[in-house]
Amino acid sequence: MIARLLQSVIQIFILLALAPLVSGVIRTLKARLQTRRGPSILQPYRDLRKLFGKGMVIPETASWIFTSTPWVVFFSTVMAGLMIPMVSAQAPLGLFGGVLAVIYLLGLGRFFLALAGLDTGGSFGGLGSSREMTISALAEPAMMLAIFTVAIGAGSTSLTEIAQTAIGQNWRFLAPAQMFAFAALALVLIAETGRIPVDNPATHLELTMIHEAMILEYSGPYLALIEWAASIKQLVLMTLLINCFWPLGLHPGWSGTGALAGAGWLLLKLLILSCAIVLIETTNAKMRLFRVPELLAVAFTLGALALVSTFLF
Amino acid sequence: MSFQQELRQLFPGQIRSVDATGNNEIVILLNRSDVAPFAKYFLAEHHARLATVFAEDRVAPERTYYIYYVFDRPGESPWLILKVPISSYEPSFPSLAADMPALNWQEREIQDWFGIVAQGHPNPRRVALHDNWPDVHPLRKDFPLEMVLPPFVGEQHVYRPTLGEGVFQIPVGPVHAGIIEPGHFNFAVAGEPILYLQLRLFYTHKGTEKLFENMPIHRAVFLAESISGDSAFSHGTAFCEAIERAANIQVPSRAQYMRTILLELERVTNHISDVGAIATDVGFVIANAHAGRIREMLLGICETLSGNRLLRGMVSIGGVRRDWDESQLEALEPTLTLVEREFRDLVRLIESSDSTLDRLEHTGILRPEKAKMLGVVGVAGRASGIDLDIRRDHPYEAYSQFDFRVPVYDAGDVWHRTQVRIDEVGQSLRIIRAAMAGLPPGPHRAPAQPVPPGNCAMSAVEGWRGEIIHWVRIGENNRLERCKVKDPSLNNWPAIVEAVEGNIVADFPVINKSFNLSYSGTDR
Repeated sequence: MIARLLQSVIQIFILLALAPLVSGVIRTLKARLQTRRGPSILQPYRDLRKLFGKGMVIPETASWIFTSTPWVVFFSTVMAGLMIPMVSAQAPLGLFGGVLAVIYLLGLGRFFLALAGLDTGGSFGGLGSSREMTISALAEPAMMLAIFTVAIGAGSTSLTEIAQTAIGQNWRFLAPAQMFAFAALALVLIAETGRIPVDNPATHLELTMIHEAMILEYSGPYLALIEWAASIKQLVLMTLLINCFWPLGLHPGWSGTGALAGAGWLLLKLLILSCAIVLIETTNAKMRLFRVPELLAVAFTLGALALVSTFLF
Repeated sequence: MSFQQELRQLFPGQIRSVDATGNNEIVILLNRSDVAPFAKYFLAEHHARLATVFAEDRVAPERTYYIYYVFDRPGESPWLILKVPISSYEPSFPSLAADMPALNWQEREIQDWFGIVAQGHPNPRRVALHDNWPDVHPLRKDFPLEMVLPPFVGEQHVYRPTLGEGVFQIPVGPVHAGIIEPGHFNFAVAGEPILYLQLRLFYTHKGTEKLFENMPIHRAVFLAESISGDSAFSHGTAFCEAIERAANIQVPSRAQYMRTILLELERVTNHISDVGAIATDVGFVIANAHAGRIREMLLGICETLSGNRLLRGMVSIGGVRRDWDESQLEALEPTLTLVEREFRDLVRLIESSDSTLDRLEHTGILRPEKAKMLGVVGVAGRASGIDLDIRRDHPYEAYSQFDFRVPVYDAGDVWHRTQVRIDEVGQSLRIIRAAMAGLPPGPHRAPAQPVPPGNCAMSAVEGWRGEIIHWVRIGENNRLERCKVKDPSLNNWPAIVEAVEGNIVADFPVINKSFNLSYSGTDR
């Protein structure tokens, strides 16, 4: 019990501390590829500190939804983060069907964000909410199918067991089912983290925003919570992708050295995945908004193919 | 039969006088009631274009206002100006906007600024002045520049209501998230598709035309340069040309060549930066990084040549302020070669990015017939089939010496507005090289001389955005009596309304950027 608690504390610490760094690394790498120097990789931490130190402007029309959303988003994301294997195949928490809970905890945060976007009655918030919901309605099934593929292979929806099975299988990444599922989840990752070609996290153009449009009315500590939660969500999804499909260096249980080695491998794999994201973001323009469903339809089809091929191969 | 004889035969007794003494313009004095038939005749028979309409207050000396209609006839270099006296006892003029939507805003400006009523205007609301502005008219001579108005109270501008199930209004601006100028955009949307867009501009109205009045001419050059910051040299040149024509100053040919080179440098700089900015707005940031780098090289050479990165303070009445020595000219050629190569790479990068082209092609289409109806000029016009370029049609400076192609496309989408810019960069570099090779020796500036009072003249310059028109009347003591300024943005803003229709809201920024119009130049 105490060990479990300790694991949770360690994982919470990793989630909170590492998430802004991943965002910072992606930002810096992107800047370098665009021939800019870019801010330091520590900039997201400074942004958070700055935002936490600021006052807040809350619209007069805002209801309790507006003020509770940052907390709901933040805690649901951290909870989801506790249910995935990060430095060891053993996730600190395994509740309510494992991976299903992860998906729906993230869904809960998104639901509240969309409500908050509508809550203030601002014109951009509603625009962002409607776009976000359109996209997530398509991204979620694709994600489910991809995850189910892996879950069928492992015989369980518990992420701990999925990761442990993955380790035991001796690198079955090249199996068709795995590859399809990986591709589907990678597309979902791009859509869910609001990256080019789906959304542009760096734009100032309100009319083109998706995620940013929903949170346009937030400021100060609330904005900090939401930004932090967004980077944690990105870390969670990236880790999920990495540890389900590429469990290299992951130890089946918790131990001091195992966790340390796992952490080292996690950092390396995150860096590689970040590079891939940066490459995609730099070499592509943002898609026409109405083309995004096509991209997600591809993700869905890949997910469906993955599921079917688990029974064929 | 000459044009004048033809006119006298067709409209017997209606022409009060014709003044064709200036080689640049033919001024026909007409009665108020005869404007409409004349205008319709020029438009229908001569395929002329009504370039601009503006007013002038001559109440103190002549007890009348004048309204000027400037026509551009294809293939004819002199501008045709209809000069129409409007009695100060009954200040109104017949509106042509119902037949010529291109005049919509310009007639309303006359209404706002002079209090001359545009009779029969389909939408006679305020355009340039605030809706609650009292019934005083700032461009009348009896309105002192220092006048302080009481603070405005009460209702705001009323937009056309947005009605219907599932139809929403998205108000954007006037202050925007980016560092740009203010303008209010009111979208009516059904989900994502835009049903219609209402524009409200003139938030940066600075009373520039009023400021020109009574200003010493040599100082007014600087004011002209600041009408629209990114067209400083074009506006400055247009102003100086107007004064030079009014005063009959012969600009030395070396100065003409130098001005040509600088005008083209301004065009190249802005076009390249626009190409990058359009790519940014579809999230292809890498292209903008390169465009920014190339722009920086050009700004550097501009500073070498003029002492200012944006070419301010270089043009002056009678020529240019500074001459170039060998070392300055030697710096230009290597930069041009580098810019040309780097820009070719940039274009290749954009053209090889399918995801970028997919966003730009078929987006924000401005149909040629709409463009013609709205009198669209410049880059946006040439992308929508309007074959118009002042450099070719009404040559000024040294342009008649050079051979260049004017790119014209019919598609009218964002990509073709980009394509026009890309083509023009190539042509401009050619012109700069030819002008450098042929740069004649001699003085860079005509000696200063007093400008005779009472003279009027018009000049037109093809700025990088399009046609810039300045019209001046000289006053006593080397001061200005009136300076009318028409920036190309004024023609083109209403075209954005047409271009966005049916597009989705998320595509508006890139459509807007592909026009890249000046708020400051429009609002003055």
